[in-house]
Amino acid sequence: MIEAKEINVNTETGGEISYETTLFAEPVFHTNNFTFTNALVTSWLAVLIIIILAVILRKKLKEVPNVLQNVFEIVVEGALDLCDQVTNNRSLSVIVFPIAISVFFFILINNWLGLLPIGGLGLLEKGEHGLAFIPFLRGGTADVNTTIALAIMAVIGANLFGIFSIGIWKIFNKYVNLKALGQIFTKIKKDKTIIIVAPITFFVGLLELVGEFAKIASLSFRLFGNVFAGEVLLASMAAIFAYILPIPFVFLEILVGVIQALIFSMLLVVYFTISATDHDAHDEHEKHEENVVVSV
Amino acid sequence: MDSIISTFHIDWKIIIAQAINFIIVFVVLYMFALKPLGKLMAERTEKIKKGLIDSKKANGLLEKAGEEYKENTIKLRKISADAQKELQKDLEKLKIENLERIKKDNDEWNKKRIIQMEIDKKAIVESARKEIVDIAMKATEKILGSKKDLNNL
Repeated sequence: MIEAKEINVNTETGGEISYETTLFAEPVFHTNNFTFTNALVTSWLAVLIIIILAVILRKKLKEVPNVLQNVFEIVVEGALDLCDQVTNNRSLSVIVFPIAISVFFFILINNWLGLLPIGGLGLLEKGEHGLAFIPFLRGGTADVNTTIALAIMAVIGANLFGIFSIGIWKIFNKYVNLKALGQIFTKIKKDKTIIIVAPITFFVGLLELVGEFAKIASLSFRLFGNVFAGEVLLASMAAIFAYILPIPFVFLEILVGVIQALIFSMLLVVYFTISATDHDAHDEHEKHEENVVVSV
Repeated sequence: MDSIISTFHIDWKIIIAQAINFIIVFVVLYMFALKPLGKLMAERTEKIKKGLIDSKKANGLLEKAGEEYKENTIKLRKISADAQKELQKDLEKLKIENLERIKKDNDEWNKKRIIQMEIDKKAIVESARKEIVDIAMKATEKILGSKKDLNNL
């Protein structure tokens, strides 16, 4: 077990209660073959909060907006404009946007729930080194399982979106570039260099495949690392000077929570946009434009 | 890989549970918030666009109406000025006619009056003569009567 930070508290009976900020989410209760971790509980709470807010919004939806609807409209319009800046295509933005904003809110609420002081509520469990405190709530995104789940869904979603947008053959060729290998036989008479270029292109395709796994790793560990580091920072500050010293860092973490949610959603939009772009058509279009410029 | 899995306690069951959590969030947000809100915002945008187009149309109509109003005002002023001139002429004519008629009437009346006065004068003179003759007659009779009495004496 990696201990990021350990705080020991003496109890009246003389026993020590230790609190460790662990790299993994602690189990809070078990069923036969499933362990419920505190990060999962926090995620459920986040889901519940989002459901409540969504239902309230739906019920109070009016043409002349109230405060909640106004805030949500501002967020939605701002996010849609941000999406447009990435995609440069409103119709594409309209499709990707609901997924991106759902990811944003899910991560944001999870990040912020991890900052709540009610993380002080928890269980005392007997461990190898005496009593250990296990908080009921831990930021959902401070568990790598959550971030991996989101990252896998983002990458799979992007590829599915690509398949529906430009076709399965083009997406398949992006990773296993049979088209490039085929060009060895079709273009060898015109261009001898194709015999070197085509295998390289094929290899680049395989690298793209590896890149997809890299995307999962980078997305999940970036988010997890930032949020977990924040929790460790707050725990460390609380250990130095409880209640007062963590306050500025809590504000910092509120900001970090927003930024990390935004980064994850923006990257998701980027992946979806890249996946929906037909690179062959794009290259042909560029060649056509170059020809036009030359002829002019 | 195993060390990473054991270090971070990566559990595919929790990964699936978290994925389900996210799917619930997506479905709820889409069904309850994004879809109705998007529809409402689109309707509002459409209304605003329509309103702007209508306002442009109304502005055009207003400008046209303003121009028409100016043109009509100028026309009406011209018509009114012409009518005023005509009326002035008619009035002058009527005034002259009336004055002439009054003068004529007055002259006729004066003539009639003079004739009547002449007739009255003649009648008065005639009656005065008669009266004078009567008085003279009566006086003569009276004088003659008194001379007869004297003769009787």
